[in-house]
Amino acid sequence: MIVWKHKWLSGAVALLLVVGCLVYWINGFSEKKALEVTVIIKTTDDSVEFWQVLIDGVHEAAKEFDANVQVWGSKTETDVDEQISLVEKAMRNRPDAIVLAANDFDRLVPISEKARKSGIKLIIVDSGINSDAAKSIVATDNVKAGREAGQAMHQELTGNAKVAIISYVKNAASHIDREKGVREVLGQYPNIELLDTYYVEGSEQNAYLKAKEILRKHTDVLGIIGLNEPTTVGAGRAIQELELKERVKLIGFDSSVNEIKLLEEGVMKATVIQRPFQMGYLSIKTAMEAVKGKKVSKFLDTGSLVITKQNMYDEENQKLLFPFVGK
Amino acid sequence: MFSRLRSLQTNMVLASVFLILMTILIMSFTSYYLTKDAVQSQAQSYTTELVKQVNNNIKSYVNGMKYMSDLVAANHSVQDYLSATSFKSLQDEKDHKEAISDLLESMLFSRTDIASANVFGYGGQFVSGRKELELNPFIDRSTLSWYKNAQEAGGKNVISPSHVQPVFKDRYPWVVSLSRELFSRDGTRKLGVFLVDLNFSVMNDMFKDIRLGQRGYLFIIDSGGKIVYHPQQQLIYSHLKSEMIDKVLEIESGTFVSDEGSDSRMYTVQDSDFGWKIVGVSYVSELVGNQNEVRLSYVVLGLICIVIAIVISFFLSQRVSQPIKRLQDYMKEVEKGNFDIHVPVPKAIEIGRLARAFNIMVGKIKELMSQVVHDQEQKRKSEINALQAQINPHFLYNTLDSIVWMAESNKSKDVVLMTSALAKLFRSSISKGEELVSIRTEIEHITNYLMIQKMRYKNKLDYRIEIDDSVRDYRTIKVILQPIVENAIYHGIKMKHGPGLIRITSEETESDIYIVIEDDGKGMDEEKLSTLLLPSPNPKEGRGVGVRNVHERLQLYFGTQYGLTYKSALGEGTTVYIRIPKSHRPTEDEK
Repeated sequence: MIVWKHKWLSGAVALLLVVGCLVYWINGFSEKKALEVTVIIKTTDDSVEFWQVLIDGVHEAAKEFDANVQVWGSKTETDVDEQISLVEKAMRNRPDAIVLAANDFDRLVPISEKARKSGIKLIIVDSGINSDAAKSIVATDNVKAGREAGQAMHQELTGNAKVAIISYVKNAASHIDREKGVREVLGQYPNIELLDTYYVEGSEQNAYLKAKEILRKHTDVLGIIGLNEPTTVGAGRAIQELELKERVKLIGFDSSVNEIKLLEEGVMKATVIQRPFQMGYLSIKTAMEAVKGKKVSKFLDTGSLVITKQNMYDEENQKLLFPFVGK
Repeated sequence: MFSRLRSLQTNMVLASVFLILMTILIMSFTSYYLTKDAVQSQAQSYTTELVKQVNNNIKSYVNGMKYMSDLVAANHSVQDYLSATSFKSLQDEKDHKEAISDLLESMLFSRTDIASANVFGYGGQFVSGRKELELNPFIDRSTLSWYKNAQEAGGKNVISPSHVQPVFKDRYPWVVSLSRELFSRDGTRKLGVFLVDLNFSVMNDMFKDIRLGQRGYLFIIDSGGKIVYHPQQQLIYSHLKSEMIDKVLEIESGTFVSDEGSDSRMYTVQDSDFGWKIVGVSYVSELVGNQNEVRLSYVVLGLICIVIAIVISFFLSQRVSQPIKRLQDYMKEVEKGNFDIHVPVPKAIEIGRLARAFNIMVGKIKELMSQVVHDQEQKRKSEINALQAQINPHFLYNTLDSIVWMAESNKSKDVVLMTSALAKLFRSSISKGEELVSIRTEIEHITNYLMIQKMRYKNKLDYRIEIDDSVRDYRTIKVILQPIVENAIYHGIKMKHGPGLIRITSEETESDIYIVIEDDGKGMDEEKLSTLLLPSPNPKEGRGVGVRNVHERLQLYFGTQYGLTYKSALGEGTTVYIRIPKSHRPTEDEK
């Protein structure tokens, strides 16, 4: 009888302790553990505002969704090998998710597949890869952005005209898509002759030189589309130098102080800007949702915006064009 | 566990656990909600205080700008410079400009928070307190909002939201502008616009570090609902997020909570006197998030309390139930028939009383048991005595001797009569071994006996039996008359000169029957009478043994109020009353 009593008592006590631990554990588990996300961007060079703003968005989201975020990146946008090794390093740390802005459309495919197989959720931001290893792609719809640039160019041109496209690097998905969008729009107008795409191997100086070359070669009404910031600025410099801003219409992508000056001066007619803050923010948000097992859409368009001299100081656009307060 | 058969201890443990559980639950809930309210109102007052502080800080900046604006607007050299249509010389113009520039510069001295202070004349004049600044040739300032708003306000200070100031060459600072249209000394002519820019980084740095909880933040809107500062401005412009700006604009100052389920936000609004509204936003779930820890600790605390409660109630109940259990074990012993036990009396009063009462009870039972044993023994002894009395060998010898004597005298008729009476006497006394016989049988028995005695004593003895028929069917223990009659013959009549008479009659009351045996023999003195029915110190002594035996048997069988009563006086004979109850009436078939 007494023995049975003691068993009963110790059983009850043990049960209560177990329940207590369980409650504590569940609570602790659901509240304490922040998800780990590693973000690998194209360049850590802090003179490139685009990535700095994107990182801002990343941090803002990390704060809001309580994630532990590490941001890594290759030194330059062209260093594919370094980026591959960064992804490998990230995988060794076994984060819950990796957010990647791919430097190369093809060469990052194998490592991305590997990441997916290891169970880490992969989110692509800004620049995609030639694979569907990613849970979701958070980027500007570059084809659409290209179309917008094409339309802006079309509005600037009257009569017969030639349009040259300057691309930064050959195998970047974003550039391929933008070019596609531009050609899609401008190709429909018979008065516009689309010239070959010029590649400048990732250098503004090359773009400047290439633009000069184009400007000298084609003396009629001309449109130039720079597919990103350095190509646009390079081309702008060439136009400024040759004082051809009346004859040559420049449409660019992205924004920087140099581009703003070009816009103010009227050298550049319009620039199509992306929303890097949104990209950063949404990539983390999507990663968190994917890790928590929610359904995420395969492609998230963060949108693009055509900025001209007329709307550049609008309240909504200021923050996009001049992202860094106090700098 | 919930069967009805539970030990007292289990019941006590369960009851106390339940009680404690309820107490803890109620207390936890109450204090949880009390602390929840307390935390919420604390957070609210904290936010309000913080927002007020921020407001004061901004106000001090704005007041500084206003002060500058007032100085410049009232400054004569500024008015002169802007209103002059021509100057005596270029040098004169330059001197004027220099004076204003110096004034502005002195105001900006050691003020890193002010980006610039400038005067724009409607005649195209431009003077800046920061001499390195040049105008941006590509910007038409009349399109900029701070310029337009100043013109519309007509001499009042206008504060812009935060914006990029593109008016200077190669510079795109984020600033908050205070602008004011300047008038001539007589107030009739509009001369230009004064602009002072506050580096927005000053405010940004101030707001950036303000955190309301984990995710809470602070934002500022102007009176038109435009965002002056918001940490997530971009998200709002792209509609990834929304603030309840309409509601913020509606209320002067105060607090409200948005209804967004788990993402509900608490807005604390403070109206500044220059048209901005400073809003602190904190997440309600976060306040509750802290609450989760509180709740968790309540749960853990509660569990610990329950564990302690179980242990305590277990030991407590054991202290109560243990003595009871011990008592139970003793009772089991008693059940087995062991009465030679004595329960130690525990200290607890109730259980002690119980144990004492138990001890007394066991003692009583023991006493009764021995009483019963003694009584039984006594009964057996009496019966044996009765049997002995029946077959009194002297009586038999004398009777047989009489028969022999009668046979020798050829009184064969008498021999037959006596022998048959003797035979009847024995038959009726042996009966069927039953304890009770009817009075009728008992009378038959005594009739036979008296018949034999009459034949022996002839005229010396005479007897009369007058028993009512109504009593004959009642039952009595057997052989109660013979010892008395025998006594009456041997000690009464035989000792007397002349013939004696024995008379047996009956009397009846409501509940009892009296059989009365009277003789007119020698009788007894008081002393003998008083000792007759008392237990004799020497039971072997012949006299009175049979009578005492009858008395004892009657008392044993029917109770102490029954038995024999003697009345006697020396020389006058003796009367014996046998009292038996009416309760023993034979059933029909026994008749």
